[in-house]
Amino acid sequence: MAGKEQGFYQVFEVFSRKAPDAPMQHQFSLLAPNEEIALVMAQENFMRREPVADLWVVKRDYIRRMSEEEKATLKRLDNKDYRLTRGYGDLKKRWRKYEQNVLDEKEILSWKGEIRR
Amino acid sequence: MAAMMTFTRLSDEEKYERFMQRIEAGEKIEADDWMPDEYRVTLIKLIAMHAVSEIMGALPEKEWVPKAPSLRRKLGIMAKVQDEMGHGQLLLRVAEDLMAPLGKTREDIIEDLLNERLKFHNVFHMPAPTWADAGLIGWLVDGAAIMTQTNMLDASYGPYARALKRICAEEVFHAQHGESIILALAEGTKEQKEMLQEALNRWWEALLMFFGPPTADTTGTSKQDITIKYRIRTKTNEQLRQDFFTKYVPRIWALGLKIPDETMHFDKEKGQWIYRQPDWERFKEIIRNNGPKSQERLELRRTAYKQNAWVREALSAVRTAG
Repeated sequence: MAGKEQGFYQVFEVFSRKAPDAPMQHQFSLLAPNEEIALVMAQENFMRREPVADLWVVKRDYIRRMSEEEKATLKRLDNKDYRLTRGYGDLKKRWRKYEQNVLDEKEILSWKGEIRR
Repeated sequence: MAAMMTFTRLSDEEKYERFMQRIEAGEKIEADDWMPDEYRVTLIKLIAMHAVSEIMGALPEKEWVPKAPSLRRKLGIMAKVQDEMGHGQLLLRVAEDLMAPLGKTREDIIEDLLNERLKFHNVFHMPAPTWADAGLIGWLVDGAAIMTQTNMLDASYGPYARALKRICAEEVFHAQHGESIILALAEGTKEQKEMLQEALNRWWEALLMFFGPPTADTTGTSKQDITIKYRIRTKTNEQLRQDFFTKYVPRIWALGLKIPDETMHFDKEKGQWIYRQPDWERFKEIIRNNGPKSQERLELRRTAYKQNAWVREALSAVRTAG
């Protein structure tokens, strides 16, 4: 078959963003003869219903992926309390003495709106 | 990096043991991970067949696009046919990555299908002569397919599990699309009700066969034990068939339809459905591509493949010139 010998099909990985402020998400991969067809197929294969604000296709060859052994090194030891709010769980109780609340995630993210005086 | 050095030095038995530990701990295996040959070969057969079945399954339904009774129905069934082809594309990709180390590609899968080395699902060899058949396929054949596919949502092979998550999300639309057609007919004229009953009579045996024989005795081989061992699926063929009865038989009866098996009932003591076995000899003929529509549908694929070859060639030329 002519196509096969010339490497007609190439693997593309597809990424999309649901909304302009959403992160890029990997969707799946597809086979296409070039970037343009890959983009059309990405839309047809993966975006028939869900909202989409942006779509990327990347040739899989251009992606440096991790091997099974490398992935095994990603496993974390559970000793990162000092990086997490979990490691500062005593604050709530300590602030109580001063009749103040701890600035937790919910409180801090609420600051984007109007702050009541 | 000590872990990396040691992994490459493991013997095949040690790798196998580590692999089994991983899947038993619920970890996902990825395309480039070490896997036993039996696992790879089983997955390739299963997923390649699943992929081509999606494509072959779109054929009896697509016949109904021009004949569907309203514009909305045409759009609905067209969307469904498009989904099935999309599912085929997803699954082909999963199979291709598994086949890559064996030097095989998508062309090999399609050629195997056309040369009848690769089978497509036994349910797609049947005729769909009326609009009620189209509705029944959407309702019950898709229902059976959903039963089988949800059973593999937690498959140990990550890419397949991810493909199935996408597929099952769309199957919810397919299920309701089928229900909508069926309810319209069940609440329609006398002729429509009869048409629906006749479609059920036609498809009942195929629905029983859908899940495959209970044991390997029928066909001599069965993949169910291997797929369960490797955590690709959890339930046996018979468990899936029983689950299908539990979900659909009460609904069939509720619409006033008659199941063409007077022995069909739920045995409370045994906790299982009692039913008449389909003709498993007929099943063996169907899976040899000797079903009523096997050759016609394969010929349709062959023609499409040949007629569209110029598109592949044209696109290929653009790339070479560029």
